[in-house]
Amino acid sequence: MNGKTFALLVAASFALAAPAYAKDELHLYNWNNYIAPETIKRFENTCHCEVIQTYYSDNDELLAKVAAGAKGYDVMVPTSNAVQTLIRGGQLMAIDKTAIPNLKNIDAAYLNTAFDPGNRYSVPYAMSTTIIGYNDVKMKELGLPTDTWAVIFDPKYLVKVKGRVTVLDSANELFAAALKYLGYSANDVDPKHWNEAATVIRKAKPYWAAFNASSYIKELTVGNVWLVHGYSNDIFQANQDAEAAHRPFHILQGMPKEGAVLAVDNMVIQKGAPRPDLALKFINFVLVGRNSADLTNLIGSGNPNLDAMKYIKPEILKLPAVFPPKDIQAKLEQLKDLTVAQRRLRNKLWTEIKAAK
Amino acid sequence: MRKSDPWLRASALVAYAFLYVPLAIVVVYSFNDSRLNAEWVGFTLDWYRKLAGDGAMIAAAGNSLVIGISASVVSTVLGTMAGVAMHRYRLRVLPLLILAPIAIPEILTGVSLLIFFVMLNVTLGLVSVAIAHITFCIGFVAIVVRARLAGMDETLTEAARDCGASPWNAFRYVTLPLIMPGVIAGALMAFTLSIDDFVITFFTAGAGTITLPLQIYSMIKISVTPEVNAVSTLLMLLTLVLIIAAARISPTLLRSTQESTS
Repeated sequence: MNGKTFALLVAASFALAAPAYAKDELHLYNWNNYIAPETIKRFENTCHCEVIQTYYSDNDELLAKVAAGAKGYDVMVPTSNAVQTLIRGGQLMAIDKTAIPNLKNIDAAYLNTAFDPGNRYSVPYAMSTTIIGYNDVKMKELGLPTDTWAVIFDPKYLVKVKGRVTVLDSANELFAAALKYLGYSANDVDPKHWNEAATVIRKAKPYWAAFNASSYIKELTVGNVWLVHGYSNDIFQANQDAEAAHRPFHILQGMPKEGAVLAVDNMVIQKGAPRPDLALKFINFVLVGRNSADLTNLIGSGNPNLDAMKYIKPEILKLPAVFPPKDIQAKLEQLKDLTVAQRRLRNKLWTEIKAAK
Repeated sequence: MRKSDPWLRASALVAYAFLYVPLAIVVVYSFNDSRLNAEWVGFTLDWYRKLAGDGAMIAAAGNSLVIGISASVVSTVLGTMAGVAMHRYRLRVLPLLILAPIAIPEILTGVSLLIFFVMLNVTLGLVSVAIAHITFCIGFVAIVVRARLAGMDETLTEAARDCGASPWNAFRYVTLPLIMPGVIAGALMAFTLSIDDFVITFFTAGAGTITLPLQIYSMIKISVTPEVNAVSTLLMLLTLVLIIAAARISPTLLRSTQESTS
């Protein structure tokens, strides 16, 4: 191969790689499987544009990319505390409320939170709770309660399910659950209470099979694990899988009476978005009840849209972890970001927990 | 030849099993009629059908191929030149400069390239990813080529020069054919490294640019379906074809040069 052929090949491969910006495109930076395909199709038909999705699997990934200067996204769907970080970093474009009249569909309980007072930059999209998931047959057989964090943390119960329990591999989530179990706020920052929580976790750890954040859906469905601390969407998914595989049991959601962590994901527009006009159109479109209901029907996510309720499958509407009753709703908390000093302390406690025998 | 040691044979068997059983399981479960990768239910081609209709996955695979081919071609050219230079001019800084991108943690390369592209106002997309991949592939190609050069008989090039060949012709007709197996091995290595890179790609890919590893990784959160097994099986098949092709090309190249120089 001579120099000319090389040059041609190089030129050709770059010509192939050159991006085309001819059509109207909306760039959505989203979690995977976090919007129903039919919603996208309907939006594409009304806006005569194409929705192009890129995915992240953790808020930190999104924050890292945006902080380093990645541009080109129109709509992103970060969780509330990440929204706050993005606002502080000046990464978001203020939302023109006159362009999204459907905002009126959102339950006032989810608007005007401390993360984005007055919803200047963000609009609630969907949510999940961090709860208990369990194998109904096994829990009944063993006579264990499923409506309290005690079943995850109290050795009195754990002794019956030793090696069949997993908890999330996340310091923030696990500490929040332990703090709730002890009767504190999930956002409690008193080091004394953190030490108490760490003690609770350390005492329970020998009974847990693993700290697991990725494969517990499968483990539940297969029947290897009977009890988990996990996300409501995942447990919903596990039950669907179990039904599809004709398992002799169900994977049910248990909402702890002590309360739990609530994660609300919000639609935001990146500052410098190529198409803010399409972004606003998209947000207003998703706020239509029927479109918002698509996602809940697909993955069992919580829905802050009051207009969506009539389109949601009745069997999902009655799930307490997806649509919590009023008294539980008051006990749900969104996690706030920790300060640097607090994070250092939590990491130290977490490392000690992980290293403990 | 002596009769082979049963211990040696046993340990070779264990090593091969260790390397290939996980791959075999991935392939087997791509034909499994269940969403769970847990137990065998029955044979099906559904996951391949689903894959054929999955636009996002196919687009991601297409992007991966385009990036892989461009990264492999460009880094092979540059890496070969670097390998030859490292062999010929024994400068101490040169290997350091060329090999550093291999030693630097990927996450660092990824973040710094992203900041660099943003600074230069380069639109993040296939081109930025390809450039990033070329950056870390060059070093690998250079190492393989230099190793090949180290085993080459220097006198052959000198003989060509004595017979009046220009430096370029001596390289083109003597050195290059002799190091061709190294060059091809380097190109294949660059291709595979590019195709499965996640960290650097994650940072340098822009809105709408998804490669296969990015797509698969983002699916893990909602549990991997056998569709991922299906796409992995196809990738393995592609790699296998490439390796067989390379194995067929390089020995002939080697033989013909030996004939012509003898």
